[in-house]
Amino acid sequence: MKRKNNGYAYLLVAPALFLVVMVMAYPTLYSLYLGFTRTRRGETTFIGLKNYQAIFSSNDFFESLQLTLIFVLLYVALTVAFAFILALIFNRGMKGSAIYMTIIFLPWVLSEITSGVVWRWMFYRDYGILQNLIAPLFNDATVITTPAGAMGVVIAASVWRSTAFAMLLILAGLQTVPKEIYEAASIDGATGWQSFWQLTWPLVLPTTMVTIVFLTIQAVNNVGMFMSITNGGPGRATEVLSLHMYREAIEFFNFGYGAALSVILFLINLILAFIYIRSLQRESALAAA
Amino acid sequence: MKSSSTAKLSQILTQILMVTISIVFIFPVFYSIMTSFRVPGYGLTAEIIPSEFYFGNYERLFNFGRFPRYILNSVINALGGTIVTTLLAAFAAYAFARLKFAGSKILEGFVIFMMMLPGLTNIIPLFKIASDLKLLNTYTLMILVFGAYGIPLGIWIMKGFFLSIPEVLEEAAAIDGASPLQIFTRIVIPISAPGLIATFLINFVYNWNNFFTPLILTTKTEMKMATVGLFDFQHALEGNQDELLAAACVVIMVPAILLFILTRNYFMRGMVEGAVKG
Repeated sequence: MKRKNNGYAYLLVAPALFLVVMVMAYPTLYSLYLGFTRTRRGETTFIGLKNYQAIFSSNDFFESLQLTLIFVLLYVALTVAFAFILALIFNRGMKGSAIYMTIIFLPWVLSEITSGVVWRWMFYRDYGILQNLIAPLFNDATVITTPAGAMGVVIAASVWRSTAFAMLLILAGLQTVPKEIYEAASIDGATGWQSFWQLTWPLVLPTTMVTIVFLTIQAVNNVGMFMSITNGGPGRATEVLSLHMYREAIEFFNFGYGAALSVILFLINLILAFIYIRSLQRESALAAA
Repeated sequence: MKSSSTAKLSQILTQILMVTISIVFIFPVFYSIMTSFRVPGYGLTAEIIPSEFYFGNYERLFNFGRFPRYILNSVINALGGTIVTTLLAAFAAYAFARLKFAGSKILEGFVIFMMMLPGLTNIIPLFKIASDLKLLNTYTLMILVFGAYGIPLGIWIMKGFFLSIPEVLEEAAAIDGASPLQIFTRIVIPISAPGLIATFLINFVYNWNNFFTPLILTTKTEMKMATVGLFDFQHALEGNQDELLAAACVVIMVPAILLFILTRNYFMRGMVEGAVKG
């Protein structure tokens, strides 16, 4: 039974909520307003829907949106695939698993910028370790200077950085599957492959969904990796929506336009957040059952 | 026995696979450490381990630009923000886990929703507001912003920890006449220390590594954080003084890596608690 004590509870909750509202919620609402204005060098004029009209008639916007989609799809698919395989290996257990786990987690505790600096080195012309390794596959082209290659490098670096985190979530899901189920299945003559698809997969699907949405949100809002690895280049080949917003608002001092772009990003996140909460609910319903 | 020899073979194969994967994951860290020991002036070469080790790059780094100041800024902002987050999130999480109050469901929903709202969508208006309030380039602003950013996840993590404590302990103390504050500070906080530590560590590392927020909210060189400084260094040093750039990378990596290795279990439990349970 929870104790009822309204005043004390509000006193405990208030400071945290106040700070969150001031720093996160209010600015988000304020960007709705700024999106209807032209704000440059301290001057704000109300211009109605002009920013949005400009955005939706701009090729740059749709190109950036497309790049974000490509990045999200490939990054999330690869991260989840690798994470799932690793989680299955860790779930079976092995000698030295604590050490392996620590090593695999190192990329996750690094800043996007340090990661980006190192990944760029590895794709240096002539000296880059990975560049030299893969150059024969690409007619000796410098991979990072081609549009697809640049995106590929950012995806590889981001997958490298997030796999451990995704693996940990999926592993937590796998560990809730009781071992007896597998014993029963193997007595019934199920092969490893069968018991994976018929037992493991459906049971960890909800956790995997949560992981997918979590990664998607991260991916849509990823700026640091892009800035430190390609800075949007070559040309605009990796200028994803998040980076596009940064450039318009901060580099070109176009606050109203940038705010309108951040409203669009916010709406994308809003949809993802709803899917996330839905899958969380489904997961806890399953855990309760 | 055939089955035991197949089991052994599969064990060996797993070990080979895991060693390979580990090398892939640790290589970039190893590579930047090796690069930081290169003799200045020769640039990068195709060899991974330098033929001659030079340890002076770290000394050069601390005389280069404002690097020591960047590190100091990072420590102040990350630590300050983490303390704010841990304190405020602990209070709120306790209320959500233990007390019944009108509107608690709605407020909790709001917190989860804010957790899903990344810094990217509010940073531009935040810059405008901070600039209007003359708060740009201050520790106060960074500490409050980092403090706020960590709160939703902090509440989520700690609520999970609070819920795992048997409530009988608190009830017994209440019967013995302890005040709510006494119960909180003498019983709840000590028992839920792992949750507090997890929240503290995860947020410290997030803040320490945060790049985009300080990039926007600091415009003066002397207030930049190390990650932003590193980004500037990348443009200035890449291709001509890679060894110095590598030393800067290593100095930024090491605190996070050490913290993680020393307190691994807190991190992992906190992350699982934060993302899927709650």
